[in-house]
Amino acid sequence: MPDTTPAAGPRFALPRLGSTERALAVVIALLCLFLALTTDTFFTLVNLLDLLNISAVNVIFAVGLLVVLIAGGIDISFAVAASVVQYLTALALQQIGGGGWISGVLIAGGIGFLLGAFNAALIYHFRIISIVVTIATFNLFFGALMFFTQGVSIYNLPSWWTSRVVLFEMETASGWAELTLPVVVMLAVVFATWLLIRRLTIGRQLYAMGDNPEGARRVGINIGAMHYLAFGWLGITAGIAGLMQAHYAQEVVPNALYGRELDVLAAVVLGGARLGGGRGTILGAILGVALVTITQNGLNLLGVSPYAFKMIVGAVILIAITLSNSGVGDLVTAMKNSARRGAARKADSGVSR
Amino acid sequence: MALRSLPALVAGVLAFGLMAGTALADQTRIGVVVKIGGIPWFNAMEAGIKEQGAALGVDAFMIGPTSADPALQVRAVEDLIAQGVDVIGVVPNDAEVLEPVLERARAQGIKVITHESPNQRNVDWNFELASVEGFGDAYGKLMADLMGGTGKYAVFVGSLTVPLHNAWADAAIAYLKANNPEMELVGERYGVAENVDDSRRTALDLMRAHPDLKGFLAFGSQGPIGAARAVEERRKAGEVVVLGPFSPGQGQKLIHDGVLSGGFMWNPKEAGKVFVTLGDMLVKGEEIKAGTEVPGLGTINPEAGSKNIIVDQLVELNKDTIDGLAEMGL
Repeated sequence: MPDTTPAAGPRFALPRLGSTERALAVVIALLCLFLALTTDTFFTLVNLLDLLNISAVNVIFAVGLLVVLIAGGIDISFAVAASVVQYLTALALQQIGGGGWISGVLIAGGIGFLLGAFNAALIYHFRIISIVVTIATFNLFFGALMFFTQGVSIYNLPSWWTSRVVLFEMETASGWAELTLPVVVMLAVVFATWLLIRRLTIGRQLYAMGDNPEGARRVGINIGAMHYLAFGWLGITAGIAGLMQAHYAQEVVPNALYGRELDVLAAVVLGGARLGGGRGTILGAILGVALVTITQNGLNLLGVSPYAFKMIVGAVILIAITLSNSGVGDLVTAMKNSARRGAARKADSGVSR
Repeated sequence: MALRSLPALVAGVLAFGLMAGTALADQTRIGVVVKIGGIPWFNAMEAGIKEQGAALGVDAFMIGPTSADPALQVRAVEDLIAQGVDVIGVVPNDAEVLEPVLERARAQGIKVITHESPNQRNVDWNFELASVEGFGDAYGKLMADLMGGTGKYAVFVGSLTVPLHNAWADAAIAYLKANNPEMELVGERYGVAENVDDSRRTALDLMRAHPDLKGFLAFGSQGPIGAARAVEERRKAGEVVVLGPFSPGQGQKLIHDGVLSGGFMWNPKEAGKVFVTLGDMLVKGEEIKAGTEVPGLGTINPEAGSKNIIVDQLVELNKDTIDGLAEMGL
């Protein structure tokens, strides 16, 4: 068994790569190598920064969902919750006369938290399993959104929200390379989530609860608070992701994020988060998103027939999962270890002789 | 309590309905059942119905079900039959589900007109304001004009399984192949145009894979918007043409910024007027055949034996027309 329990290892050492992360990293590296050799556009600054810009929102969703998965839950409703947040934020900003980034993030995060807490309340106080609750709230959120908005989009958002923020730009031979605001927000959310689950005691308690809820309760962990923490955290990140999606799309469309939940869930599970809880790393979630994004990017760059897209994406996911389960990562470690053991044995025999 | 008072209530409603019916018996009544009420497209259609009704002196009104549910449309048509209207217009959610109830309406002498439902059974006429070929050709032609008849272009559709989008794309591509052989299609077609994020991402990738890409043709509500955002991000406004049908309010700013080049649509308000005009003609017993001039449709030319009136009354979306269309809430 690969050792991925976070409690293992020295506390301040770099976290050891789990076998899933290693397998994913190997697949991604091979994919990148292949694309760098077969296209002259993949390994350019423009493309690499674009990959970051494009995956930022999905990564923000992914690390939020990771927290819920670690805590032993699942959430189907977060993507449509983000759409609800977009609408309510737009309305709230209209009320306060425009607002700015700070009020925007606070409102979006706050509404997101409330929607997440609503899920947590149903799951914890009524003891309903999370998938049932969130399938219901998925329909509730989306249905309410369609009912109250009548499917009408909002195009006139405050200008601070929709004007593009370019933090780094450079003209290259293949066009303008840009690094935009969503990437920085992604880094901030990833860092905050890392602090939560890797550096804070309550984060460790999330793992404990996901691994063994009854055991966690007996050692005195507040299970209710943990539910609010996990689903609330996903709510906040979903709210921020919604804010970012509306930022680059420059409009709020009710069904823009509908269906995104399954893409993100697939990526996070691909990254090694266990659907039963107690296992999962931020790096894995990011690699999971990266694999899917790079595959799609590569297909477009290679000029593969779009009719084959879904088939190839599915095949790549299957290959990655098969590799991580069959332990390619472990294989590499095992080879290294056996080499080391071999060397040690040689040294031993040298001494004994 | 509630149950006991129900018969009285029903009787009251019936009596009221009969009274209302007799009061208006001399005026032609036209009821149009649309897919769903309360959305901008059908609000515009309702405006057309009311306007033309007032102009022709007929009582024309629209019924918009609360959801796009074929069963609700059937019930709405049943209600119209019970009210004894002269003409029933329908924009069907499901052509087959409506067949029996439309048959019943016609059996009672009610004229039936449908829109956006080619080869609908049990109708007097079905009319279309855009033919597949006409729509595709118009896009192909505009694309060729804007690209100067040469260069690479890519095609987006809502999904690879949306029949109408793919039929439009087929027609546009066929037009360009025949008339502008210098223009080159890259990568068949991409099924991303119902999602603004996917359209943007794919457009960014394609512009990178083909630095000399000069145009996007996107059939699907979000495709032109997403592609235009990508062109804006790549700072290629004016260099890359983006065409497609889109919601005018949504694309207004992009059109004025010059990143979205334009497109064609048909005007739901005109469709609303045509419902009333055609209905009025049918009730008056005017003959409708090839060569007949119908206001709003032009000279029609239905195939012999067919009940489809297909014309190409397209509205161009560009810097001049977009503000007016957006103002209508479209």
